[in-house]
Amino acid sequence: MTKDAFIKLLQDELEYENELYGNTLIKELEEWDSMSAMILIGVVAQNFGVTLKANDIEAITTIDSILEIIGSDKFN
Amino acid sequence: MGAQISAISYIFPKNKITNENLQKEFPDYNFSKFEKKVGILNRYVVENGETALGLATEACEKLFHLTDKNNIDFLLYCTQSPEYFLPTTACLLAKNLKLPIGIGALDYNLGCSGYTYGLSLAKGLIESGQVKNVLLVTAETYSKYINPKDKSNRAIFGDAASATLITTSEQNNISQILFGTNGDGAEHLIVKNGCSYPYDPEANEIVYGTDNLYTDNDLYMNGPEIFRFTTEQIPNFVLSILNNQNLEINDVDQYIFHQANSFMLNQIRIKLNIPKERFYINLADGGNTVSSTIPIALKRYLDQNQSSSSRKIMLVGFGVGLSWSGGIITI
Repeated sequence: MTKDAFIKLLQDELEYENELYGNTLIKELEEWDSMSAMILIGVVAQNFGVTLKANDIEAITTIDSILEIIGSDKFN
Repeated sequence: MGAQISAISYIFPKNKITNENLQKEFPDYNFSKFEKKVGILNRYVVENGETALGLATEACEKLFHLTDKNNIDFLLYCTQSPEYFLPTTACLLAKNLKLPIGIGALDYNLGCSGYTYGLSLAKGLIESGQVKNVLLVTAETYSKYINPKDKSNRAIFGDAASATLITTSEQNNISQILFGTNGDGAEHLIVKNGCSYPYDPEANEIVYGTDNLYTDNDLYMNGPEIFRFTTEQIPNFVLSILNNQNLEINDVDQYIFHQANSFMLNQIRIKLNIPKERFYINLADGGNTVSSTIPIALKRYLDQNQSSSSRKIMLVGFGVGLSWSGGIITI
C-alpha cells in the first residue's frame, strides 16, 4: 500500500471532516476520540497485520508517526 | 448421555437510556458515529434499589413459564455484582425462587466469558451423573460501578440477567468447552476499590480516553488493550474450537460471540473469513450486558430463525480477567 492510499483509507474509515495529511497532528483534531483509536487499531491490524498497543496510541503525533510505528518497509 | 440447552429467558431493567439521552448529557460526543461503529442504540440500567439479584429473579420467573422449577437440582449463578460479600447470592436466589431445599447452588465470578463457562460446568455436573437439570443464571449491574462522567463505559455497558435450563439429553449437544486465562491483563478491565481495598470517598478523578472520568472506586476499561487482546487472541481460539471438533468454518451454522462491540466483532469475523450471514451481531437494543450477551443473542437468534432441523452454533465469550471460553452447541 502507498502512504497516500493509507491516508485515504484512514480518512474513509474515521469519517473525519478534516482532510488528513502526513503532517496532521491527528490527536489534536477535535474529532479524535477513543472510537478513533479503536478504528485506527482495526484498520492497521487488517491491512498490515500489526496490532497497535495502548502505548503506541499514546505515542502517536502525526499521521507520519503512525506510518513509522507500522514500519516504513510496509509502504511502497 | 449428554447435556443440552432446553430453554432460555432474559430480562432488562425498565429504565432505558437512549443515545439521545446521552447526547444531551455529553453534547460534544459524536453519538451517531458511536451508533454506526459500535452498534448500540440503547441500554437499560437499574434504578435506585434494583439489584442484579432482582433481575436474576425476574429472568428465572420468566423461564418458569416454560419449565417446571421443581425439577431443578443445581443452580449456577454467574455475577460480578453479588448482593453481599456473603452469603452466596445463589442461596438468596434459590430462596426467592422457592427452589427445592435439596439443590446445590453456587456463585462464580466471571464476566464476559461467564456464560460459556457455565455451560461447561453444567455439562460436567450432568454428564458425571451428579444432577439432571441445571439452572444457569447470569446477572450484572455494571452501571453501579460506572462513574457518571465516564461516557464511553456508560454508552457501552447495560444491565441485564438471563436464565438458561440445561438438561440431560441422549445426544451430546454441548461440545467440549475450551478455555483461556491471562491474568496479566487484569488491570485493563477492573474495579479496584470496594473489595479487599476499601472504597475511598476521596479517590482522585482520573481522565482517560476521550475526556472520560473515573476514580479507583469505579469500573475502568482500557479500550485499546481490550480491543487488542480480543482481535489477537480470539480468532486463533475460534480455530482451536473448530479443530477440537474436527470442523471447518462453514460447518458451523451460526457464530454467536460475546456482543461487546460490533466493530470489534466484525474485525474477528473478517480475520476468520466467516460469512456475514453466519455471524450474529445484535446489540443495538441492550448494549454490552457482560455475561448475559450470549444467552440474549442466542435466544434472539433462535426466536428469529425457527427451524425443525438441528443447528451447530459456536459460542465464545471473552473479556475481564482476562478470560475466555467457548465451544459448540447443537440446538
